[in-house]
Amino acid sequence: MPPASRVLAVDRVEAVGGYTLLVLRRSGADAGVPGQFFMLQARPQPAGAYLPRPLSAAWADEREIAFLLDVRGPGTAALAGCREVTVTGPLGRGFPAITGPAILVGGGIGAAILPWLVRTLAPPVTTLLGFRGEAQAVCAALVDPSATVVLEPTLVTEPLARLLPAEATVIACGPDPMLRAVAALCAEHGTPCLLAMEAAMACGFGACYGCAVELDGEWKRLCIEGPVVEGSRILAGRGSG
Amino acid sequence: MGSSLATTFCGIELEHPVVNGSGTLDALVAGTLGASAFVTKTVTLRPRAGNPPQRIAETPAGMVNSIGLANPGLDRFCDDHLPRLADLGVPLIVSVGGWSREEYATAVARVGAQPAVAAIELNVSCPNVDTGCISIGTDAAETRALLERCRAETSVPLLAKLTPSVADLPAIGLAAAEGGADGLVLINTVRGMAIDRTTLRPLLGGGGGGLSGPAVKPVALHAVYHARAVTGLPIIGLGGIQSAQDCIEFAAAGASVVALGTALFRDPHLLRRVVEELPRLLGDRGVSTFDDIVGAAHLGLPHPILEVDG
Repeated sequence: MPPASRVLAVDRVEAVGGYTLLVLRRSGADAGVPGQFFMLQARPQPAGAYLPRPLSAAWADEREIAFLLDVRGPGTAALAGCREVTVTGPLGRGFPAITGPAILVGGGIGAAILPWLVRTLAPPVTTLLGFRGEAQAVCAALVDPSATVVLEPTLVTEPLARLLPAEATVIACGPDPMLRAVAALCAEHGTPCLLAMEAAMACGFGACYGCAVELDGEWKRLCIEGPVVEGSRILAGRGSG
Repeated sequence: MGSSLATTFCGIELEHPVVNGSGTLDALVAGTLGASAFVTKTVTLRPRAGNPPQRIAETPAGMVNSIGLANPGLDRFCDDHLPRLADLGVPLIVSVGGWSREEYATAVARVGAQPAVAAIELNVSCPNVDTGCISIGTDAAETRALLERCRAETSVPLLAKLTPSVADLPAIGLAAAEGGADGLVLINTVRGMAIDRTTLRPLLGGGGGGLSGPAVKPVALHAVYHARAVTGLPIIGLGGIQSAQDCIEFAAAGASVVALGTALFRDPHLLRRVVEELPRLLGDRGVSTFDDIVGAAHLGLPHPILEVDG
């Protein structure tokens, strides 16, 4: 059935190092579960940004719903500078209930979805974050003050490799090559692995077929299958992507 | 729903004149979004995975897509999807595509035999496959021959969906009419592409793609206006529609039914709002039905309909 759309007021916008935190007044809107996503568009519609942007919440509570942005173009710039946002969602499949120890792995703006997840997990939780520079790494404090942080050229998969094998679920969000490396490491050690993936998207509710990613060896719509998928699914039938 | 919007298109009774464009809505996921008929994504004989990512690129007033006719194939569509689509409660227009006359004919015969199907759209205009499809719709003789071949397979209304990326679209429309088309669907996306600003390589996985959104509205209006004048066929008009006023303009150009496409991606609730707003716009013009507007642009000026606004 059609996804819900709401116009939500911007409560505040804060710089978090090289990223921007957009906090909306929730006003009773359905926030879904961690890992689901929303299509966000600034109001009024910004010039040069026809499509909404798919974003997962950094966190949501009774009063607010927050998104961490990497401002890179007209769409995200407009979101960082507007007073109202059209929010469609929640969309897609978020994280399932996770029991037992968890290892969170974030790469760059992929860390944006982890603060909310951290709040929902029972300890022990180990957090590994990788960033391209100090400015981006500032957001680590939002995720987990005790996180292990590495900067390029060190890859976040290096500390992960030292933790495996582990009796834990590995949960990763970040650029595609990082997710593939994490999924491969987990497969090697037989460790359960969940990935929150990203794709260019026009609609977010299965209409456009734009967000195809290779899952189970086929192109599938990420907005329907994910964005949270089991790591093994991106390893199947590799080669055509 | 005001009766002022009820209409009949190629014998199909519609509650109002606003539908979706093919490939812009998965009604099994999101419902009909208020469309008075559901137009399916194009189905081909065999399943198609579609083109590799990246599949969409934003443009200043729309987007370029390179989906590549991803679909479950004719068997699964007829056995699995169609029964569920029949439960939507609106007429179904099934879009079919192919790589040869015989492929289209096979699909038309199979789809046309399904009681739930109100009409068949022949997609001869997809810009995202290398051969077939658009290579038919860019050739008047091929288009006429395709319609003749498909006409022999079914009595269900046949609609030809045409590309604007041709020198003489009305001539293609006329060929479709001569071949037995009952109506036209204008327009498919306009051929286009995007270059990755960093790598300077083609951005889309398929190389090129199809442009849609408000950027193509004037192209679509021109196509509808001239195809209507030359063929006289009923037309589903689409291309950049994002308001009730846009619908009125397409109707004036000659569209009996209008479709929302790319605009639904950014606002799944737009179609219902457009349908709600249409009666007021008609009232402002002093006309009682949507049908009264259809073809208004073809009447000599000044016209009573156009004088209302002063």
